Amino acid sequence: MLLTFLSHQWTGFWRSKSKTGTIATQLIMGFLILYLVIVSIMVGYNMQGIIEQVLPGKDIMIVFNGVILYYYAMEFLIRMQIQELPTLAIVPYLHLNIRKQTLVNFLNLSALFSPFNILPVFIFFPFIIMNVRPDYGLFACLMYLATILSLTVFSNYATLYFKRLSTGNMKIIMAGAAFLLVIAGLEYFKIFSISVISNMVFQTISKYPPVAFIFILLATAMFMINSRYLKNNLYTEELKSGTGKKSSTDYPFLDRFGEVGTLVALEIKLILRNKRPRATVSKGLIFLFYGFLFYKQNVLENNEFGKILFAALFMTGNMILLYGQFMFGWQGAEFDGLLANKTDIRTFFRAKLLMLTLSSTLLTLITSLYGFISWKLLLLHSAAYLYNIGIGAVIVLYFATRNYKYIDLKKGSSFNWQGVGASSMLMAVPILLLPYLIYFPVSLLSNPYWGLAAIGIIGTMGLLTRNYWLTTLVNAFNKRKYKIAAGFREQS
Amino acid sequence: MIIEISKLIKTYAGRTVVNIEKLVINEGETVGVVGNNGAGKTTLFRMLLDLIRPDSGEILSKGTNVAENDEWKKYTASFLDEGFLIDYLTPEEYFLFIGSLHQMSTPDVIGHLERYKEFFNGEILDSGKYIRDFSKGNQNKIGIASALMQNPELLVLDEPFANLDPTTQIRLKAYIKSLKSAQLTTLISSHDLNHVTDVCDRIILFEKGIMIKDLYTTENTLNELEAYFSK
Repeated sequence: MLLTFLSHQWTGFWRSKSKTGTIATQLIMGFLILYLVIVSIMVGYNMQGIIEQVLPGKDIMIVFNGVILYYYAMEFLIRMQIQELPTLAIVPYLHLNIRKQTLVNFLNLSALFSPFNILPVFIFFPFIIMNVRPDYGLFACLMYLATILSLTVFSNYATLYFKRLSTGNMKIIMAGAAFLLVIAGLEYFKIFSISVISNMVFQTISKYPPVAFIFILLATAMFMINSRYLKNNLYTEELKSGTGKKSSTDYPFLDRFGEVGTLVALEIKLILRNKRPRATVSKGLIFLFYGFLFYKQNVLENNEFGKILFAALFMTGNMILLYGQFMFGWQGAEFDGLLANKTDIRTFFRAKLLMLTLSSTLLTLITSLYGFISWKLLLLHSAAYLYNIGIGAVIVLYFATRNYKYIDLKKGSSFNWQGVGASSMLMAVPILLLPYLIYFPVSLLSNPYWGLAAIGIIGTMGLLTRNYWLTTLVNAFNKRKYKIAAGFREQS
Repeated sequence: MIIEISKLIKTYAGRTVVNIEKLVINEGETVGVVGNNGAGKTTLFRMLLDLIRPDSGEILSKGTNVAENDEWKKYTASFLDEGFLIDYLTPEEYFLFIGSLHQMSTPDVIGHLERYKEFFNGEILDSGKYIRDFSKGNQNKIGIASALMQNPELLVLDEPFANLDPTTQIRLKAYIKSLKSAQLTTLISSHDLNHVTDVCDRIILFEKGIMIKDLYTTENTLNELEAYFSK
């Protein structure tokens, strides 16, 4: 039976409706996975050399042991974003003569087919086999390997379990995000360290290998918990988003903007109530952690803003880039209706600008928390903010008038290439390059602060001349509006 | 009796969609379920097939609760909507798959499909199309045929006549009538009062989740139903 399911998945994949358009993306995906696998094998095979080069003089085992849990922590975060729940696949089987347990087994099995589950094997196994075995003996080596496998299995099913629990449950998502933020903060300020814990755990295993059975037990327990939950909740309406009462909402704050505000409210609802835009926007929130990666003390002390400008631009403007790149495809399904309505195009564009501005303002407010690390970051973020709303938003909307690709709102966003085209790829180049073109000459001629000021000033100028840019956008749109609308009508 | 429903309640967003105190369906009955939109017909069918979890109450099929045990799947065949079909398969692939679930060999399945030749009207088999590429009416035919093929003891069809062309409606009606036996219990929902009164020997009328009428079909039934719905 399970084989039949798998063969159905396989045929389903090859006969997928959007296949003609996706053959290229499948190839790219394939190469991407192949590339990842090759890189992992190289890293795994040369782990010893890499550690010696990156951190010379340190004990290789300690570094290696410290990395493992770190890897899984990061992996878990990425999994939560990317890994899809293979639930909908079972809908056509629910009413047939197939036992529930079989369906659950199928869901569990198909969840294992993920590149996440194979990468750790390539990354960690070679080193363990080459280094742990000679030093600690065969049994310890086997238990090491078993621990790696257990952690992978645990992470796999924990992701699915928590994702299922949190679908449509904002509270759990918020609590999870807050928890992660605290952990990241503690790690950044060196109050708490995953690598120390990891090192402790694996040193214990190398000395007392049977300890690893705890991990095998944990993985088994997670698997059981997930299966149990699935078996008890195998109702599609419960595994999908909540069935709570849908109420009409309005955003009084937006009322002051009149018709523009109404259009913004409409788009906010579009984002909150549909899977793909919601996923795109919430993915943007992950990038708020960029600061912890890029904002290093020595960079800040030397005022090397060029090195962190990208992070600032992206954190304060990721909605503009991530959501804006598929503009107006989000509204592709009702685009004809929008055009035929009693709104003029100028208002339409003003609403878009307002929404992008609001998003960027919100992100800038959140990221101003980085000000605790250094006040310089506030300057950096302000400059990036002004640039994003003054220039970035306009560039995004200009490229949007060249995008004819419909977006299916119900699909997930991970590895979803629908709507990705040359214009959305190209768009990021000028938006992210321009600030550097402004910053570097000015900061070389005077100093880095003037460089930031220049970015801010250019952004402000963009804001002050917004009416002119609006006219440009409206003209660009009117030239192509029939083509855009026709493109959306084709739907995929 | 094959189906026994008691104290079944389902609410969505504070609105009660199904509220059945007691309903018993006996073996061999052909039951028509009628009611306006929002009467809870489809929700009831979905709960019967354990696709939706009731808020309270239970549905016993041959004495066991459908939500607790999979036993009912062995003798129950159903088609509610296109979501039941595996839309990227060809009809033949789908029929063979369904057949394999009931231990039917390929020749068995082909032999079975022979019977539906007239029903399919030459549009389903050897069409070189995936199920998703068929019109809604033809998808309906595929779903109904796959349900009939399973030789069920309990057959559940949600609006089987919808989207079908007139000829096929008449053929389907005749076919369902011909299936009537002491071993087959059929549940059909429909908006077409003519069809249900013609096919079914018992009609249950729902309104907003509550059973309003439960009648055994006579010559007067159609008039009675029409009178009810036109008031």
